[in-house]
Order: sequence, then C-alpha cells, then structure tokens
Amino acid sequence: MVNFTIDQLRGLMDKSTNIRNMSVIAHVDHGKSTLIDSLISKAQIIAIAKAGETRWMDTRPDEKERGITIKSTAVSVFFGIDKDSIAEVKQKTDGTNFLINLIDSPGHVDFSSEVTAALRVTDGALVVVDCIEGVCVQTDTVLRQALSEKIKPVVVINKVDRALLELKMSKEDLYQTLLRTIESVNVTISTYNDAVLGDVQVAPEQGTVAFGAGLHGWAFTLRQFATRYAQKFGVDRAKMMTKLWGDNYFNPATKKWATTPTDADSKPLERAFNVFVLDPIYRVFSAIMKDDKASLPSILSKLDVVLARDEMDLQGKDLLKVVMRKFLPAADALLEMIVIHLPSPSTAQQYRVETLYEGPMDDESAVGIRNCDPNGPLVVYISKMVPTSDRGRFFAFGRVFSGTVRAGQKVRIQGPDYVPGKKTDLFVKSVQRTVLMMGRSVEAIEDCPAGNIVGLVGIDQFLLKSGTLTTSETAHNMKVMRFSVSPVVQVSVEAKNGADLPKLVEGLKRLSKSDPCVQASISETGEHIVACAGELHLEICLKDLEEDHAGIPLKVSAPIVPYRETVMAESSIVALAKSQNKHNRIWMKAQPLDEQLTSAIEEGRISPRDDFKARARVLSDEYGWDVTEARKIWAFGPDMAGPNVMVDVTKGVQYLHEIKDSCMAALQWATKEGVCAEENVRGVRYNLIDVGLFSDAIHRGGGQVIPAVRRACHASCLLATPGLQEPVFLVEIQCPDSAMGGVYSCLNKRRGQVFSEEQRPGTPMFTIKAYLPVAESLGFKGELRAHTADQAFPQMVFDHWEPMNGSPLEKGSKVEEIVTKIRTRKGLKLEIPPLETYYDKL
Amino acid sequence: MADSTFSTQAENAIQLSLNVLQDTALAHLSFADLLDHFEIDSTVNWILEGDFQRTALQFPDELLHVSVRIFRALKAKIGEKELYVLADTSYGSCCVDEVAAQHVDANAVVHYGHACMSQTSRLPVKYVFGKKPIVIPHCVHQLASVFASGNHDDRPTIVLKSDVSYAHASAQVAEQLRQASGLEGHTIIHEAICTNPSRTLLETSVGPSSAPSSEEAPTSDAAPPVVILYVGPESVTLTNLLMINSTCTIYSYSPISRTARLESPQANRILMKRYATVQKARDSDVFGILVGTLGVASYLPLISHLRSILTNAKKKFYTVSVGKLNPAKLANFMEIDCWILVACPEGSLVDNSKDFFKPIVTPYELHLALAKEGQGWTGKYILDFEKVLSAITSEGVSEDQPGDGSDHEDEDRPHFSLVTGKYRQAKKYGDEELAASENGTPGAVVLRNKDGSLISNSAAAMYLQNERTYKGLETRTGQDEPGVLEQGRSGIAWTYGEADEPC
Repeated sequence: MVNFTIDQLRGLMDKSTNIRNMSVIAHVDHGKSTLIDSLISKAQIIAIAKAGETRWMDTRPDEKERGITIKSTAVSVFFGIDKDSIAEVKQKTDGTNFLINLIDSPGHVDFSSEVTAALRVTDGALVVVDCIEGVCVQTDTVLRQALSEKIKPVVVINKVDRALLELKMSKEDLYQTLLRTIESVNVTISTYNDAVLGDVQVAPEQGTVAFGAGLHGWAFTLRQFATRYAQKFGVDRAKMMTKLWGDNYFNPATKKWATTPTDADSKPLERAFNVFVLDPIYRVFSAIMKDDKASLPSILSKLDVVLARDEMDLQGKDLLKVVMRKFLPAADALLEMIVIHLPSPSTAQQYRVETLYEGPMDDESAVGIRNCDPNGPLVVYISKMVPTSDRGRFFAFGRVFSGTVRAGQKVRIQGPDYVPGKKTDLFVKSVQRTVLMMGRSVEAIEDCPAGNIVGLVGIDQFLLKSGTLTTSETAHNMKVMRFSVSPVVQVSVEAKNGADLPKLVEGLKRLSKSDPCVQASISETGEHIVACAGELHLEICLKDLEEDHAGIPLKVSAPIVPYRETVMAESSIVALAKSQNKHNRIWMKAQPLDEQLTSAIEEGRISPRDDFKARARVLSDEYGWDVTEARKIWAFGPDMAGPNVMVDVTKGVQYLHEIKDSCMAALQWATKEGVCAEENVRGVRYNLIDVGLFSDAIHRGGGQVIPAVRRACHASCLLATPGLQEPVFLVEIQCPDSAMGGVYSCLNKRRGQVFSEEQRPGTPMFTIKAYLPVAESLGFKGELRAHTADQAFPQMVFDHWEPMNGSPLEKGSKVEEIVTKIRTRKGLKLEIPPLETYYDKL
Repeated sequence: MADSTFSTQAENAIQLSLNVLQDTALAHLSFADLLDHFEIDSTVNWILEGDFQRTALQFPDELLHVSVRIFRALKAKIGEKELYVLADTSYGSCCVDEVAAQHVDANAVVHYGHACMSQTSRLPVKYVFGKKPIVIPHCVHQLASVFASGNHDDRPTIVLKSDVSYAHASAQVAEQLRQASGLEGHTIIHEAICTNPSRTLLETSVGPSSAPSSEEAPTSDAAPPVVILYVGPESVTLTNLLMINSTCTIYSYSPISRTARLESPQANRILMKRYATVQKARDSDVFGILVGTLGVASYLPLISHLRSILTNAKKKFYTVSVGKLNPAKLANFMEIDCWILVACPEGSLVDNSKDFFKPIVTPYELHLALAKEGQGWTGKYILDFEKVLSAITSEGVSEDQPGDGSDHEDEDRPHFSLVTGKYRQAKKYGDEELAASENGTPGAVVLRNKDGSLISNSAAAMYLQNERTYKGLETRTGQDEPGVLEQGRSGIAWTYGEADEPC
C-alpha cells in the first residue's frame, strides 16, 4: 500500500493516541502467523523484498520447518481509517492515520513465556480461535494471562472457510458454531474478569468479533456488512449491526424485523446474519467451487468486486482467494477492529499503571506512565532479549511507558532484584542505539517516545532477561512478569569434550538470556541443569544450545523431574534445636499450608512485597488465619517469595527482632533444600514457638542462629508426616472417536486421569482433558501417536503439584523409592537423616 | 542462663568424646613386635647419626596410647639425649607440628602414624608409619585380575602407589606384579616412599625432591596417561590421588576389605562437586583465608600471594586462624562468603562441606574462581603449594594481557552466576583504600596501620566494633572494681622467667 519512510513512521510514533500495541494470541495451529501474513502483506510500512512470503513472522529456520512459532516477533503496520469511522473510536485520536505494532506470539503451550513477554508490552490482544476446534487449553491460558495483565481482547474466528469447504455446514449450523465459540470465549473472559478493565466480553454486534480465513486472506466484522447495507437501505449503521447478530429475523414479505424464527403465519424466517452476511459468502463459494462461471459475474458485480483480466482465468480455490480478498480484505476488517476497539497507549496506561508499577501511584514515574508522557521521566520495561546477528549480543526488547529513550542517553538499569535506594542490581549506562524491530530486520531510529515498542542496543550485558530502565532516581521497578508455565522438565548437560566447558558455560548464559522461561544452573553435584517448560521447549533449547549458543557437542542426561517436599500434618511434638554453641534454643512446629493459599502465593496474589496489614486482612478474611498471627509472617521462602512461610508465634521473647534476619536466611536454606530429598519445600507453615537466646550479642549472631533455625525447620518437618508432591500436566487431546481407545489406554498406562471428554458438536472430534504426572509424560506424545495412527496430538501444560500417597518415612512405599532415587542422583546418603540429626534434647 | 552455660560447659568437657578409632591390636603387641612395628631401631640410629640433642615424638590421637611404650623403648637405647612426646596437634595430625616441636626447642621430629608427607620448612623429620599387615599374594592377584578386566593397551606404564602404612610392602608387591600374568608388556614403576628423608626446605630446594609424595602427579602433563594401582583403604589420600590424576585409570586394593576395584569413575564425580564449589566461590565478595597449617613449606608465600590476587580482583578478605576446623567456629564469621583453606593436601579438602554454612575452597580453586568467566576449569587439579604458586603466577601473567583490553570498558558488568542462574553484580572493595595507601598493600593491613582514624570513618568497622566484639560470656559491666595491673611472669610455657629476672 504505502511505503513509509522511517521519518514518517517516526512522526506517527509521537502521537500516542494513534498507536495500537497489540499481540496476536491463540492456541497452536489456529492460524496466527498466517493471519498476520495477510495483514502485513498489505499494510506493512517498510517494503520488504519478499513481501507475501508465507510465515513472515517466523524468523528462525526451525520455525518454518516445524510450522510453529517459537519466538514472538514484532512488526509495525500503518493503517489509515476513513473519516466517518473515526467517530466510532471511543477514545481520543489525532488524525486518521494509525500505527499498529503487532506482536506475533507462539501458540504452543511450551512457549507461553514468550506470550507473557509479548503481552507485557502491548495493550490489546487479537485472540485467534479456530472455527472448528473452538476454544482450546492454550486459548484459555493466554486469554487469562492477557486479562491479568489488563489487556483488552478482541476475537477473530479463523478458518471459517473450512466450515464451508470441508464440513459443508449449513448457514444455521455455522451460525450456531460461531455463537458457541464466542460464548465459550466469553465464559473465559468473565471468569477472569478484572474490575479495572471493565466488561470486556466480546460481541459480534459491537464489532469486537471478526470472522475470516487467514489462509485465504479474507475476514470481516459485522461492521463491514452493516456499512454496506446501511448505504443500500438507508438505515443507521449502528442499528444495522445489532440486527445482524443474534435472534433477529428479517421478513422479506413485510419488510419488518422480528425476534422469533417464524412469521405471523408460522412460516420459518431466516436469521438476519444468515441472510445478509453468510448468504453472499455462500454464494461466492458455491459459484466458484462448483465452477459456475455463468453466475459469477452477476454475483461479483453485486458485491462490487472487480477482477483483473488475468485473475479471471484462475480456477477453484485460487479464484476463490482472489475474489474473497477483494470482497472482504482481511487487513481492512481486522485493522479497523483493532483501531476502533483496542485502547491506545495513552488510554491503556491510565488503568494499567497500577498493575505495572511497583512504586507509589503518585511519584513522578507513576504519573509519567499514567499520562504516557513523552516528556516525563524515562520508564522502559524490557520484556525479553532478542539475539542479534552479532553472536552473543542481544537487543533489549521492550516498551517505553514514559519519557523518551534516545541513543546515547544515560539510563539507570534496574534488574529484578533492585530495591529503591540501594545499589544492588543497578547500573547506570548509556544506550548505544535505539532500533525498531521489524520482523527479521531492524531499523535504527534516533529516539523513541512513550507508548512505543523499541529495541535497545548496549544494555544487554546488564540485564539477564528483563528489567526496568529509568532516568528518575526515585523510580521503583516495573512489576516482574509472572509466567503461567514452570520449568518442570529438566536435564543435565555436559560437554562431550571436557575442554569445551567454558563454551558450555557461555552457551548456558546466552540460552538463559534468549528465552524468558528457561533456567540454567549448576547443582550441588556439579551438573549443569537446563530446566524448561515442556519436552518441545527442551528440545528447542538444547538444539539452540548445541548449535548456536555453545556450538559444541553435548551429552544430555535423561530428564529429571523436580519434586516438592511438604508436610501432611502438624508436627506431633514441638521440635527443639540448639545452636552449635548450645547457648541458643529454637522451638518450632510445622504445619501444612492451605493448598489455595499456597497457589495464591505462587501466583503472586499474596506476596512478601504486600503491605503486611493488608495481607493479614486478606489472610484472615479468605484463608481463616488469626489476624495477629497473619501480621507476624516473617518471611516467605525459598528465594524470599516461595510458597512457605515462617510465622512468629512467640510471646515476649527478648532480642527476638535481632534474629529475624537470621531466621529469614535459615528459612530460605531450609525450604530450598528440604529434609527428605533436598528438593524445594512447598506449602509448609513454620511456627516459631519460642526461642531462648543468649544475652551476649556475639553468641546469638547469624552463624549460630541460622544453622539452629534450619535444623529446627527440618526437625519440625520430620515430625509433621513429610510428604512429596509431584508436578502434573494438564493434557488436552483432540482426536476422532476412532482413536479414543488408544488415547485412554495410553493415559491409563501412565497414571493419567481423564476429567473431561467433550465432542465438538457437528464433528467426530473429541476433546479429552486429563491430568498426567510429569514423570510419566516423557515420551507420551510419541506413544500416543503410535497408538492412534497419528490422529491424536496432546498439548501439555504444567497445571499443579499433586500430593503423592504415602510418606518418605514409610519403608517400602513408592514415595520412599522416589526419594531414594533423588538422593542417589544427588550423591547424598541414601537414608533420610533420622530425627536425631536435627532434633536436640533439652 | 549464664550459670547454666558454665555448668553445661564443664560437663561437656568431661563427657567430651573424641572420635578416635583406637587401634586396639597395637595395645597388645609384644615388645619385639613393637620394635618392628614402630621401627625403633632405625629411629634410634637416625637420632644418633643426626646427633639430635632433643627429639620430639609426635603422635596422632589414635596412637597416643602406645606413646609411653615407644618412649621407653627409645629412651632405653639413646641414653643421654632427650625425648618429648607431642600430642593434640593444632592442625591436622598428618602434618608435622613444627611449632609445637619448637616449644621444646627440639632439633628433630619423629612423626608417627599417617602422614601427608608435605614438605616441612624447618626441622628434620623422620616418619614412622607403622607397618600394617597385608597379604601380598592376595593383593597381587586381585590387582592383576581387576587390571585384566579393562583394556589398557594404549597405556603401557603402570605406576604402583600405596598408602604410607603399606609402604613397607610396596616393593614386594611391585616385584610380584611384574611377574603376574596379564601384565606383560607393561612397565611397572614403583615409587618407594622414603621414610628417612630429613626433608627440609633447604635440601629440597637444592636437589629434586628426594621423596616423591603420594599426591604428586606421576607424570608431567605432556606424558601419556598411565594406569595407577593403589594399595590402601579408602581414604583422603586416595581421593586426592583421584582428583589430581583424573585423566589416569586408577585401581585400588584395600587390604582391609581385601578387594580391588576401579576407582576412576568416582574421580569425575568428586571433581564436579569441587567445580560446583568453585562456582560458589565465584559468586562471593568477602573471603576468609583460613590458616590451616604452620608447617607446610611455602605456606607464607602462598598466603601473601592469595592476598594479592584477591586485592587485584577487588575482593575483601580477612585472614583467620582457628586451628582445627568445625562448623561452629566458622559460623561465627557471618560476613565471610567463602573460605580459602591453606592447609596440607590432605587437610585441604573438607569432606562434609554440607555442614559448613559457607563453601570452603583450596587456593587453586580460588585461582580458578577468580579467572575470567568460563575460563580456568580444565579438569586439572593441583593441591601442592609449590605447584599452585607456580601455576598461579605463570597463568596469571599470561592472562593479564588479553584481559586488560576486553574488560576495560565495562568493569562493573555483572557476571552470569551458575549457582542461581541469574546475573550477579560483584561488589568492589578496595578502590578507595588503595587510592589512599600505596599500591599493593592488602586492605586489611591498611586498617590496622591507620588505627582509630580510619576505623571511625568506616561504617562497617563501627558496626563490627559495636556488634561483634567479644564481651565475655558473663558481662558484669560496672559490678566489679577495676583491678590494678601487675607485672606478670614472662617467657614461654616451657620455662617461665620470674618477674624480676629478665628473660
């Protein structure tokens, strides 16, 4: 369309009201990348040599090979809206030209973290739903994430052509299918609705739902048809739109609208949607697919579609594509929907500031964010790192929320551990260059004002994965992103050639930089551990590590499944531990933490950063805690934020405050390496019942108290029926009914529990949902395909931690066997240390 | 509370059980056996030949119960010359406690029991290991059969090593191994441990080390890997041997369990554990140099070298001497992130490091940890001080040149910590202090030299002075009358001079 220069583009970036930052999210294979192809082939700003090439947003060779998106990619699109439509944009605008920053995100559950990183820098989301498959597990997950980030969704129902061509649905069936799909999207939206965001349920009659076929490059909202008919019938467009959906019937005889499917004479009426919207489409389809060349010209002229001479000679689907593209161009419909219904940065940041910014809502940074002020103090959130062509260097990819970032500017780089007023995780460095990320290419720009998405050069060495850039000395951090997936699949890697170790270490660093979710670390036993969200993720990460980041042959161990240690009852007696100098005594009890509270802590709904009074209120209201006790939560652990708490329930102990730091440190230690298998602890409340401290300060220093408290924690756990929790995947399998038997036998063999089985109406396809322990999931995909003749594909996403039956202390139990295995792997003594190791006699 | 503290302590002192495995067999040795087992005759000859007027006999805890019999046996034969029994060494009992020997102004030391064979710096030493029983044919048979189970055609050289207490039999084992079947075509090198070395620093610096210690790598780096046969039970010596020679195939025969096995797979595991510890050291900002020996040669140059590389790396460090290590002692120094233990090879690797709150590394590991990111760790491992020193100095020089260029622009760049999987920003110490004083002086010395003024300026020092000063178990501030200072006795424990007579 228009080939903009960078300067013109830069001009658009200044108008924050005319920018739309949005991510495209969906379940895997619902057609995101293809849909985006149809958008950018038409309206992309910078001319690209290979315009129209498929899967333009997939920048990696393996993405094309596998046909899935692995990394999220950004691209900017220009869109000019016509004058009379601008009135429908219910927010401030400035002119009719809009800049739309699109981020394509991966649909496979294993790469959900990429979606999270994309959502953070955008304000709206285009949710793509497959017309046939409907709302799937990942649709649900990403939608939930979007809502929790306060991101407004609009929906496009994709692959409508399949309903016509493959399933040969009748118009009414198709309407019902669409209706159901929209309803199920709305169910998800209302479940996770956010008060601040308001009601964001989608409805076709409001224009927030589009229908289309990405592969064919056509799509429409009811607005297109309403405009068309409004002109024709001379009625109001808005009124027309409401009539085109739902139980509205047009009686051609009386020229009247009705809300019942029958007229006065009980003759059936046709639904308005079917008559006015679907009918033209069905006609085009049937005319072309039945090769009815005779009727085509009249249909085309009715639809105002003019074909070029060479296009007339096309046949079948190719002709269909051309016609439909001219009739209902996808780019126009979708971009119009985006511009009208999704918020601009200046609108969105007003309500998003509270969820985005950690500091007080009235400091200069918060004000700058709220107003999306290009002259305010700089606040940039870096959400991920994008590898550059220069090996080992990265672009810091993020969004300017306030101020303007310039090349050469000195900025404060605040890592995730930065605490205002302290120097930890803080660097003051200058930005070398600012660039626009355009799919696989980058364009240098001089500066970038608030509301835009930007890539920065020169700060990648100071941030691992994400962080905040500011110029204000008082600025707090932007909230860290919470990922919906956990790295539950681990392997240990080592270099085949011992001399390559330095390269491996460097490679691990680059790997953990380039992916928001992957974790690389070293275990006590000296093994390099790579932790990923799922098998596919792991496969991609290891491939990257071997071929790119480290560039050395690797030896990879069998997958290691992490477990969590917990307790299943309250400690039978009070555990006592003494410090090594025997002068200090710690009395402690452990008890299980409510599962709901545990997950609330894990999801960050209850966090150590909350105000303790507000937190105590929530704990007492929702989880039945005693308010005074709830106020005395000393620490969370491990890593200061984990799902275990230490509560001070002592009465009148002298010097108690002095050992608080020591107790916190001990809790981190004790919960990081649990007593049974040195796995993380989960869901334990440690009650500090009493302490006896020596009067001279030097004898109750951390060196004495920390080990003692740790021992008390361990002893209290051993006394409280220790247990183990294993990670469990939620598996969603879509398969035809003929393959059901194979699916069930595979699941049963692997301790899977089916909890839902639904048939997609009108299709032989079943959706089976089940819980499957991660330990059993390795190789599940392959086995399932083998048992169902390649007809069933599972999607697995970490769901929860499941308590296992039995206790590690019971001899011969399955749990004990697992613990023994873990201990062997870690090179520990095979037996769980007896109580006497940690429990001291008075 | 204070009272109960004192009473428990008293009880503890009485009930304190030392974990000593007494070799009860030795207690019932006949006099003739005793002479043989403890090499009384050769010891006597050694003392007489050296004409040592005063000789110290150093016993480890587990041999203390035979010390009297040995003393009498020796005393009966040497006549006039004096003998002293030394016990409860300040550091590991495998080392020669020269400081204790100097307390009695001894001219020589006879060291009994297990020894690490570290070079000593001051006194002539005779080692008496005790001759533990071993069935040589069985040993040879077992070693030969376990050796035959592997394929060693590319490694023609076999080195036979043994625990010091089996050294007496090693020559015979080597001789019989040469004739054993399955070992044809292999050269067997037998390294005898010289039990009468008089190894002082002076002598060894002139000629090559007369007694190859059991830890030394048998071959230089360039030489092809060899097979090592080790005679002795599982011990620190074997662990060290495994770590230092991780490229060699090692078989061991334990005379106690009377079995032979392949040890090499373990070596990698042990090394990887150390590697993990090195990663922790890399993440540390404040180091404690633990002085774990006063006898091993060149410990002082090593410590000063450690100080200088820590200063260069802008790390803070303290030098601490606590005698024998235990977690409680080290836990009192909360500020320290990582300990560097300067001790004899056998004492350097602290086994149950899990109990200690902070990691403990060896000097060589520190050198690796301070090397540039990802560099250094090659699987090579050095424990011997001399070699560590030469390795550090040689590698340090070669590394400096390229390091200067690339690191110049972003000195405060965070490094990727493998322990946490995150970026970590190292704290920089010593910038200001160095600017104030002349270059190269370790920070700790500056603090001491400038006494009051500097301490009062530093918030950290103020904190330490207020919070971490030992005030005694029972503080009775203001309750007791101040005492009058009196002139006490002077001298050392051996002879106190009277107050009025000058010492």
